[in-house]
Amino acid sequence: MQTALELRGLTKRFGDKVAVDGIDLTVPQGSFYGLVGQNGAGKTTTLSMAVGLLRPDGGTAQIFGADVWTAPDTAKAIVGVLPDGLAMPERLTGREVLTYLGLLRGMAKDVVAQRAAELLEVLELDTAEKALVIEYSTGMRKKIGLATALLHAPRLLVLDEPFEAVDPVSAATIKTILRGFVAGGGSIVLSSHVMALVEQLCDHVAVVDAGTVVAAGPLDQVRGTNTLEDTFVGLVGGQDKGIKELSWLSK
Amino acid sequence: MAVEVTMAQMKFAILRHAFRGQRAQTAGTGAVLGGLLAAGTVYLAFSGPFEVLAAAYAVWLLGWVLGPVFMGGGDETVRPEYFALLGLPARRLATGLLTAAFVGVAPLVSLAALLGLLVVGVRSGSVLLAVPAMLLQLAVFVLLSKVSVALVGLALRSRLGAIGSGLVNGLILAALGQIWVFFAAFGQTGIPSAVRYLPSSWGLLAAQGDWRALAALVVLVLVLLAAWAALLGKRATRVSGSGRRRIAAASSGGAVIAKELRTWSRDLVRNHQAAFALAYGVGFAASPLLIGWNGMLPYAGPIFVVMAAAMASNLYGTDGTALWLTLMTPGASDVRGRQLAWLSVQAPIAIVLGVAFTFLASGPWPLILALLAALLGGAAGLIPLVSVYALVPGTDPHRRAGNPLRTSEDDGGLTGLAYLMLASVLVTGVPAGLTAIYLGWAGVPVGLLTGALCWWGFGLLAERRLRSHGPELLDTMRTGRKPQTRTSFRTDHLSKTEKAIAGWCFGLGAIPLIPQGILAAVFVSNGMLRHSWFLATYLPAGWRYPVAAGFIALGLAMYGTGLWLVRPNRPKPAPAC
Repeated sequence: MQTALELRGLTKRFGDKVAVDGIDLTVPQGSFYGLVGQNGAGKTTTLSMAVGLLRPDGGTAQIFGADVWTAPDTAKAIVGVLPDGLAMPERLTGREVLTYLGLLRGMAKDVVAQRAAELLEVLELDTAEKALVIEYSTGMRKKIGLATALLHAPRLLVLDEPFEAVDPVSAATIKTILRGFVAGGGSIVLSSHVMALVEQLCDHVAVVDAGTVVAAGPLDQVRGTNTLEDTFVGLVGGQDKGIKELSWLSK
Repeated sequence: MAVEVTMAQMKFAILRHAFRGQRAQTAGTGAVLGGLLAAGTVYLAFSGPFEVLAAAYAVWLLGWVLGPVFMGGGDETVRPEYFALLGLPARRLATGLLTAAFVGVAPLVSLAALLGLLVVGVRSGSVLLAVPAMLLQLAVFVLLSKVSVALVGLALRSRLGAIGSGLVNGLILAALGQIWVFFAAFGQTGIPSAVRYLPSSWGLLAAQGDWRALAALVVLVLVLLAAWAALLGKRATRVSGSGRRRIAAASSGGAVIAKELRTWSRDLVRNHQAAFALAYGVGFAASPLLIGWNGMLPYAGPIFVVMAAAMASNLYGTDGTALWLTLMTPGASDVRGRQLAWLSVQAPIAIVLGVAFTFLASGPWPLILALLAALLGGAAGLIPLVSVYALVPGTDPHRRAGNPLRTSEDDGGLTGLAYLMLASVLVTGVPAGLTAIYLGWAGVPVGLLTGALCWWGFGLLAERRLRSHGPELLDTMRTGRKPQTRTSFRTDHLSKTEKAIAGWCFGLGAIPLIPQGILAAVFVSNGMLRHSWFLATYLPAGWRYPVAAGFIALGLAMYGTGLWLVRPNRPKPAPAC
C-alpha cells in the first residue's frame, strides 16, 4: 500500500530549544491518523514542516512520494492544509476566499463556483454571505479554513486542531465530511488535545512528547486495553508525579 | 417636483414652529449679523478690486464647510431618516433635501451676499451669466456643506475615518515640509491669485463673462449632488447593505488582482495610506501657491507616487501570516498580481494629478510625464522587492487591537522601511528626470523604459525571493522575530540625539534648499530684489548667488546627514542559509 505522508528524521531548533527532535512518522493511504500531545510537544511545528510551511533543520517530508521541498508543486497540489491560527485574506468574504484560492490552484472558474457554493452551504457559512473573514468568529474561521483545505479535492488532509472553538452541530457536520473523505480513499492527519475525539474518529494514532514520537500505530495497538487518555497520561505524564491537586483550594 | 416642493414646505413649516421665543431671538440676531456681512460683501462688489471679493466669497465658503463641522453637524431640520420608509431613490431624496436646504436663514443671507455677483455682472456687462451664477454658487455652498458634514459623520465610525485622518495627516505633514511657504505668505501683502480658482470664485468668474466657469459650476453641482446622494445611501443603510461584487477573474493572476483590489478598497489601513499619500502630494505641491508660485504644482503626481510607494513598503507584512496560502500554491504568481493591483489603484490618481496640475501650471510636460512613467514603474517593482527583502513583521489583521492603523509593534522598523522606499523610488526616477531636463521629450521613452525594466526585473527578484525564502518570511511573521541576517535600515538603532538630528534634517532640509536656495536664486536672476523673506535678495550684488548656493548646499547637506544617520548597517556577516 502507498504511503500518504512519510516523515523521516524531521528536526527543528528554535535557538537553544529543540522543538522537534528527529520525528519519524508513516501515514498509510486511507488512514485517519491522529496526532496527540501536550501543549508545546511539537505537533504544530511537525505539521508545518510536513506540508512545507516551515523549513526543517534536518529530515525529509514526502506526500505520496513527492518531496515537499524538492518537488513542491506536485506535493502541494495533492494536500489540503488547515493551519492553526494563521491569517487569511481577511478583507474577502468566505465565497471570495474560496474563489480566489480555487483560481490560484488553477481550477476552472465554474468548478470553483459550484464547489464554493456547496462548501459554504454544508458548513453553514452561506448565511454570512456579506461578512468579511476578519469579522468571522473563531469557529467560523476554522470552518472557512477547512473549506479552503477541501476545495481542490486533495488526496491528503493535514488539519491542525480542526475542532477547536467549533460548535457541536458544526463539529458533527465536519466529522461526517471527514469520515466520508476517508471512506472515499482519502487520508487525514489531524492534531488534537481531545482524546475522546481522536478515539472516536481515528484508526491510527501517534503520541508526541518533547519533540519525539513515543508511541505510534493502529489505535487499538497503541491504547491496548486502556482508554487513550489513560495511555496518553501514562506515556507523557511522568511516572511517579501523578496528577497533583491544589491542597488549599478544597477545605 | 412634488417631492422637492413637499420637502421645502415641510422645512418651512418646521421653521415657522421653531422660530418662537428664545430661538426666534437667536435666529433674528444671526440674521442681522449675516445681513451686515452680506451687505459688506456686496459693497466690495461695488468698490473693490475683484480679488478682494473673491477672498470674501472664499471666507463664505469656508464658513459653510467648517461651520457645521465645528458646530454640531449643521442644519438637521429635515432629516433623510424621515423618508427612509418611503423608498425614494437616493438621487431623488438628495434633490428633495437640497431644495429643503435652501429654505432657511443661512441660505437667504448667503443669497444676499451673492447679490454681489449681480453687481459684478452689471459692471462687466454680463448680467445674463450673473443670475444663474448666483444660484449655482449658492447651491455649491449648500452642497459642499452637506457633503462635508456627511463625510465627517461617516468618518467618525467607518472607513472614512481612516481616510479623513489620512488626509489630515498628509496635509499637516506636507504643510510642515513646506512651512517656509507659510512664512513667506505672512510676509507678503495682497491676496494670492490661487483664491480666484477656488470653487467659491467660479460664480465671480462667470459674472465677469466667463461662461466656462458657469459650466464648471453646473458640473460641480451635479458631482456634489451625486456624492451627497451616495453618502445619504450610506447613512440610511448603516448596517453594511452594500452588495459585494463577485470575483469575475478566471485565472490565478486575475484572482490575485481581484483579492488585492478588494483589500485596497476595504482595508482601513490601505485607505488611510492612499489618502495620506494623496493629501501629501497635493498639499506639498500646492502650498507654494500661497505665495503665488505655481512651479511646484506639476510635481503633485510624482510626489504622490513616491509617498504611496513608501506607504506600501511593508506590503507583505501588513497581510501577516496569510502568506501561507501563497506558499501552498506555488504555481501562481503572487508578486505580478500585487504589482498590477498597486498600479491600477495608484496610477490613475497619479496620472490625473500630474496631467491636471501640469496643465494648470502650463508645463513642464516632458519632465512630469517622464517622471510619472519612471516612478510608477520603479515603485511597482520596488514595493514587492523591498517588502520581501526587508519585511517588518506585522500584527495579523484579525489580532489587531482597537486602532486599525497600528499594523505592527515595530514602529522603528516601519519608519526605516518607508525612508528606504522613499529614497530608492526617487533613484528610479533619476535617469528619466535628467534626460527630460537636458533633452526634453526624450525623457519620456527613457522613463517608460526604466519603469518597465524596474517593474519586470525587481518583480522577478521579489518572486524568486518569495519562492526561495517563503517559509522563513512566514516564520518571521508568525513569531515576530527577524532572523539576524538582514540588512537593517531603521531608526531604532539610533540614539535619541541621532534620531532628533535625523528628524530635524528631514523635516527642515527643505527650507534652505528650496526657498532660500533655489527660489532665491530664481528671484535674483529675475531681478526681484528685497523680496519677502528670501535672504539672498536683500544682499549686495556680489553676495546674492553665493549665498543662495550656500543655502542649497546646506539643504543638501541636511538631507545627506539624515540619510547617512539612518543608512543601512550590517551588524554581522550573513551566514549562509
